[in-house]
Amino acid sequence: MNLFFQNIVNGLTLGSIYGLVALGLTLVYGILHIPNFAHGALYMVGAFMSYFFMVDLGVHYWIAMLGSAAVVAVLAILCERLVFHPLRNSPPIHDKIAAIGILLFLEAVVQMFWGADFRRMTSPFTGIMRFDGLIIPEQRALIIVGAIVLVIALQLFLRKTMTGATIIAMAQSREGAFLVGIDANRVAMMTFAISGMLAAFAATLYAPINLVYPAMGHVVIMKAFVIIILGGMGSIPGAIVGGMIIGFAEAFGGFYISSSYKDIIAFGLLVVILSVRPQGLFAKGAH
Amino acid sequence: MKMLKTLGRAVAVAALGAGLSAGAMAESTVNIGFTGPLSGGAALYGENVLSGLRMAAGEINDNGGFKINGETYKVNLISLDDRYSPAQAATNAKRLKQESDVPAIFVPHSGGVFALQDFNEKDDFMVMAYTSVPTVTEKGNSLTIRIPPTFDGYVRAFSDYALKHEGKKLAMGGATHEYAKIWAKMIKNQWESKGGEVVAENAMDYNKSADFYTGVSRLVASDPDVMFVGGASEPTGLVVQQARQLGFQGGFIVMDQAKLDEMADVAGGVDQLEGAIGVVPLSTYGTDAANDFIKRYKAEYDKTPGSEAAYNYSAMYGLVKAMQLAGSTEAKAVRAKMSDAMKQLDEAHNPYQVTQVTDKGGFVTETTLAVVEDGKIEQKPIEE
Repeated sequence: MNLFFQNIVNGLTLGSIYGLVALGLTLVYGILHIPNFAHGALYMVGAFMSYFFMVDLGVHYWIAMLGSAAVVAVLAILCERLVFHPLRNSPPIHDKIAAIGILLFLEAVVQMFWGADFRRMTSPFTGIMRFDGLIIPEQRALIIVGAIVLVIALQLFLRKTMTGATIIAMAQSREGAFLVGIDANRVAMMTFAISGMLAAFAATLYAPINLVYPAMGHVVIMKAFVIIILGGMGSIPGAIVGGMIIGFAEAFGGFYISSSYKDIIAFGLLVVILSVRPQGLFAKGAH
Repeated sequence: MKMLKTLGRAVAVAALGAGLSAGAMAESTVNIGFTGPLSGGAALYGENVLSGLRMAAGEINDNGGFKINGETYKVNLISLDDRYSPAQAATNAKRLKQESDVPAIFVPHSGGVFALQDFNEKDDFMVMAYTSVPTVTEKGNSLTIRIPPTFDGYVRAFSDYALKHEGKKLAMGGATHEYAKIWAKMIKNQWESKGGEVVAENAMDYNKSADFYTGVSRLVASDPDVMFVGGASEPTGLVVQQARQLGFQGGFIVMDQAKLDEMADVAGGVDQLEGAIGVVPLSTYGTDAANDFIKRYKAEYDKTPGSEAAYNYSAMYGLVKAMQLAGSTEAKAVRAKMSDAMKQLDEAHNPYQVTQVTDKGGFVTETTLAVVEDGKIEQKPIEE
């Protein structure tokens, strides 16, 4: 029975990280209809920034997390201003190529400054909680709690503030938003900033139980794309539920069947769900 | 704008550098090729291999180059990125041969080695293979040199030691790349033929997994005495750490790709690795030649070298020596002199004490074994 609960915890941990990364991706897609392949690179830069703040500047974990979120938010805004904004009237394929360009560029820059070494970042939460045989390291608990807090904060921001409401309005109807005088540039920058911050938070939460290296974004971004297709492109609940589905599929599949098959299980689920609901679980309409 | 300027300067410097090296090429040089992963998840591994080669080439050139038939040559190392892909390695090799006429190409992965072996005899270049897969030399390619020892010696020594000192129940948690699969199969056969029992098999993708917790908890649930682990050092360290967190008390058989000292850095200390059996890390080798190499490497790269750097460093010196002995840079002639070259190599250039090269092209060194005991990495004699 304990093993069962242990796998629930494992699934929640994985699902939280995947969900946070997928949230940023889906926000950008919902508003600008750009599949931001560079999102994994933003995640990676987030981890390196936290590493830099903590190890090189010696600041506390939480401050490093905020600092990293700020840096990545600015970086995401720069991507929007310098790359995606000038391409707004081009065919969609240009956005995709540009996004891949940003991905390669950021990876190469990070590798130039830090090298390809695997790095370790230790958080202050290294203890292990035990409940009657159930083992939960503190950092893993923090990931789950952190993800819940961030999702609630994001919901409050989108539902309760004027700025948040403009983002939702843009997602619902571009023309409608323009008609009531919403500044599209401001919303686009805001969306990229939030997506970057979520990536940085996810990376900083996850980095202490994993390795920090320039290619670390590949693993999560692949899953994040599966998740937003599964959950419905642009849907916020879809990203969270999709993240959990993939997280749990990996945890239970990896344990009860075999770790070699856990990706097959996750992708198999994708096929099954898409055959039943081709638009994804939560998509409101076709994009 | 400032960034643009800096960028401009960087381009200018790079252009100048290229100009200078072109100038240097005016004197006699021997081009040596390298194709390996320099970006992506395995970039660190490729860079470590390359660092050893660069160090040897740098030292040779700083000492005024080397003489072939009275004429002085310098080494020009040309490195290309293949992102660990055999197909890209083959393309790179063709390019290195056609553009730079290299007599030898260093390749640090078995997939790339097999790809190059398809045409290296025809195109007339040596494959300097840094992989311990035994079939690399068993296939009988006449222009292949295998730099590290094959791993079958390790398989026997490690499993015998674990069976004798740690227990009979083994859980298999190795990686899923080709090399790790061959290792795992051989360990399993050896373990069962000596009366051990394999209680769980759950290979994990060490390069592409976001998390090992699930996979490791499946292994720990089978209550093993020993766990077989191994991929690159750093993820292997994570696997070990997570096994300990989940309450595993036993020992580890560590595949030779992972090094105990590098794993300890990730796992949070050598004491986490208590009972682990693996190859002897260069840093615990203890010979004068090894210590001297570590000191020089640290001075140049500011980090502790692993076996990738040390073995390839020796191989580069061996290759140059063989060219001198052969009086030529022609691949067949150089290959014929490799064994003599390794025998005559200066001790300082041979930290792993390679004694000779077999007819099939494998470097010969003593098989070694290290065990973590009481929080220390100890070298142990191999029991027959």
